[in-house]
Amino acid sequence: MMKVSLFATCLIDMFQTNVGKATVELLERLGCEVDFPKNQVCCGQPAYNSGYVKESKEAMKNMIKAFEHAEYVVSPSGSCVTMFKEYPHLFEGDAAWHEPAVKLADKTYELTDFIVNVLKVEDVGASLNGKATYHSSCHMTRLLNVKKEPFTLLNNVKGLEMENLENSHNCCGFGGTFSVKMGQISEQMVDEKVGCIAKTNAEYLIGADCGCLMNIGGRIERKGQPVKVMHIAEVLNSRR
Amino acid sequence: MVNGSIQNRDSFLDNIAANLKRSRRTSGVVKPQWKHAPQHEVYRNYSPDQLKKELENHCERIHTRYVETSSQHLPAALEEAVANYGNGLVCTWNDPRFSEYGLNPLMEKWETSSSLHVWNSVKGDENIKLAEQANVGITFSDLTLAESGTVVLFSSAAKGRAVSLLPATYIAIIPKSSIVPRMTQAAEMIHEKVERGETIASCINFITGPSNSADIEMNLVVGVHGPIQATYIVVNDR
Amino acid sequence: MSMKIGNDQFKKRVDDGVNNAFMRFAVSGAQERLRSRRLDAAEELGNWEEWRALGEEIRQHTLENLDYYLEQLTDNVAKRGGHVFFAQTAEEANEYIKNVARQKQAKKVVKSKSMVTEEIHMNAALEELGCEVIETDLGEYILQVDDHDPPSHIVAPALHKNKEQIRDVFQEKLSYKKTEKPEELALHAREMLRKEFLSADIGITGCNFAIAESGSISLVTNEGNARLTTALPKTQITVMGMERIVPTFEEFEVLVSLLTRSAVGQRLTSYVTALTGPRLPGEVDGPEEFHLVIVDNGRSAILGTEFQSVLQCIRCAACVNVCPVYRHIGGHSYGSIYSGPIGAVLSPLLGGYEDYKELPYASTLCAACTDACPVKIPLHELLHKHRQRIVEKEGKAPISEKLAMKAFGLGAASSSLYTVGAKVAPAALTPFMSGSSISKGPGPLKAWTESREFPAPTKERLRDWFDKRSDDGERKHSK
Repeated sequence: MMKVSLFATCLIDMFQTNVGKATVELLERLGCEVDFPKNQVCCGQPAYNSGYVKESKEAMKNMIKAFEHAEYVVSPSGSCVTMFKEYPHLFEGDAAWHEPAVKLADKTYELTDFIVNVLKVEDVGASLNGKATYHSSCHMTRLLNVKKEPFTLLNNVKGLEMENLENSHNCCGFGGTFSVKMGQISEQMVDEKVGCIAKTNAEYLIGADCGCLMNIGGRIERKGQPVKVMHIAEVLNSRR
Repeated sequence: MVNGSIQNRDSFLDNIAANLKRSRRTSGVVKPQWKHAPQHEVYRNYSPDQLKKELENHCERIHTRYVETSSQHLPAALEEAVANYGNGLVCTWNDPRFSEYGLNPLMEKWETSSSLHVWNSVKGDENIKLAEQANVGITFSDLTLAESGTVVLFSSAAKGRAVSLLPATYIAIIPKSSIVPRMTQAAEMIHEKVERGETIASCINFITGPSNSADIEMNLVVGVHGPIQATYIVVNDR
Repeated sequence: MSMKIGNDQFKKRVDDGVNNAFMRFAVSGAQERLRSRRLDAAEELGNWEEWRALGEEIRQHTLENLDYYLEQLTDNVAKRGGHVFFAQTAEEANEYIKNVARQKQAKKVVKSKSMVTEEIHMNAALEELGCEVIETDLGEYILQVDDHDPPSHIVAPALHKNKEQIRDVFQEKLSYKKTEKPEELALHAREMLRKEFLSADIGITGCNFAIAESGSISLVTNEGNARLTTALPKTQITVMGMERIVPTFEEFEVLVSLLTRSAVGQRLTSYVTALTGPRLPGEVDGPEEFHLVIVDNGRSAILGTEFQSVLQCIRCAACVNVCPVYRHIGGHSYGSIYSGPIGAVLSPLLGGYEDYKELPYASTLCAACTDACPVKIPLHELLHKHRQRIVEKEGKAPISEKLAMKAFGLGAASSSLYTVGAKVAPAALTPFMSGSSISKGPGPLKAWTESREFPAPTKERLRDWFDKRSDDGERKHSK
């Protein structure tokens, strides 16, 4: 049995527990033994991206320690996994932390990447009726290079009709603290994204990054649009 | 030749070296063997006819009229092309190829009706005035790039820059043998000339069709400051 | 520092940008067009990544040996009778150019588009002398006629203007009597400017790439104005940023290919012109006198730093054309003639953090720019390095943010502290919750909730759910 340690992410832990639950159930159904290293808190991205590298390093060290004994680390968040992949570079030259950082980066996978490329599964046996469109998050596609895996898995979900999202290459405007520091610009970006989603007439907006989904979902809700936002883990765990 | 001059060089370059945290490099820098060479793959091993075909295919994209002919029919083709642009004053390089390609009779015909100006360095600025008044500028292509539909012109006393620039329209006579795959081959040639210590032309123009701009609402307008229309006449047996 | 546009604060500039409906419509349309042209041009080649890798190699080697190649270049310029002036600062460059104008008793100067001459504010310096300086690039000409409106894009400077606005400006300033049809507007510009080209005393250009092995400078254009600027006036001055140089014609053609495809999706532009010195004996067009002004203006201070790769830039604007932020705020919002991602990295370096500290934060670090750059500048990483510098060395981050981040640092480093905080959060936020959302949040949430709902923290954290499951004896969890 594959031993997987869940890297839940702080956003999911506090605000989107359903996504975490779906991830655990899905992985277990696919034959994994899932544990939850208790000491994990945050990958450090919020502070790191704003330029607070020193402050973020303490959070990073905590993560490196928390997952020390894990075999596989899997997370339903492309941008958080990308952050882990940065650790080796950030701890370069640090005798105590560089090796452990490399080890962690090497064994960490984003969820869809893990399912398709490690578990070698393309059809997870999920079913969800309806029209959906998928938002590809920037960090996952450009920095982590995980592009087709979500589509591979979604195309095998019974009853799900996937629509192409126009201008999918344009960022949704989350960017962590950008969404509050540069609120006006962020609003314009998310509005364009919501407009493109509306054009697809999809009932579901699916994504693999909670930050993006909170951003887009929050705007959709404020505008009162009838689109249900779902994380891909929830879709893949769906068996209606 | 006039003597040139250089001011403030040492302090400027010393400062660069200091920022790069090393001493000045004044010699011994060798260009590395670049790890990639994709430019040599384009149209590799294409025959002259294949290259010519690429050139023809590209002309439409660059709003250029493409004509093919033989040296026997070149005078007729050229006369037709000039008529197509409305005749008027024709301006050409002072280039032995006009004679070599059997164009003297046509040139004389134009001469007689006062509709020809051949670039003549003795006349100085007068050349520019006439080029400005001309309706058609005609040159040979010194080298032609198939991939981009480009004619390469090397300036000289007899081959003024203005001939392919000031007249309202432009016609290039292209010997088939002058067609190479792309700029890579032209660059190689020029580079070798420089390495041999030869003086290269004061102006080397890579010209691709007529002038254009997309500065107004991104709408492409063909014909701005340079020629408004262009024709390429390829001579098959040259 | 005359890279700067205007004196408004960042927030106001962004506000103006967001509220300029035509500009946003024009910019997003242009982005779509230019992005797809670039992708088509790249796909056509079939091995674009190899081209990018080669472009990066060439630029990096050149920058590492910049002093060597500049020396070789200028030796060769002088051998051909050209005059070279190395200008450490904008002021020095302008002084030299003014001296040439004085010597020539120049009254009229024609210019082809050059970002570096905008950067050093050259036009104003010449105008002080009483010279008439005429922009001949169609976009720049339009802006100049329109009371010196600054450019909003490196390659398409008048992107923010619609054809009706241009027609109105031409009517007002140039006795134009026709319509807003682009062909007619362009024809009018052609007629007006022809006269100027033929009567100008000096032609001034920028330089796309200087070629060290031969002492040549090159211009990559579509309109023909750069050719006219360098063929007709008797004196030519070329101004170049010191890093705009290649070793030989062989690298020149590679970078030109990358430039034309990345900027406008063309295999080559209408005119690529390599000029070497003044005219040769016997020639009757081309300049009699040639000057090359090589400008530093803060570039050397970037060498040898973590930002050195930004000097690889070939000014194609591919990054600008994919930036989702530029898309909504436009070029003027950056407050600098260099806008978009390249502008956000370069402007603080050349112009200082005081004026430009917001720019590195006006980004989600989506990396579209890094992906698009033909010479592989890691733009989003450089934006991040600016943020690090602003926080750590410049001390320009707001105090409240510094404190919040310190708290984050502590809380995220220890799961027990986190647990305390996580228990507090739902309680603290309860007053703001309605159902499972927060519509009007406090503190940092306020900016969020101005346009979005924010999810309320769940009653049970995931880890607690996981714990409960394990306690029920079904699954293990690690300590």
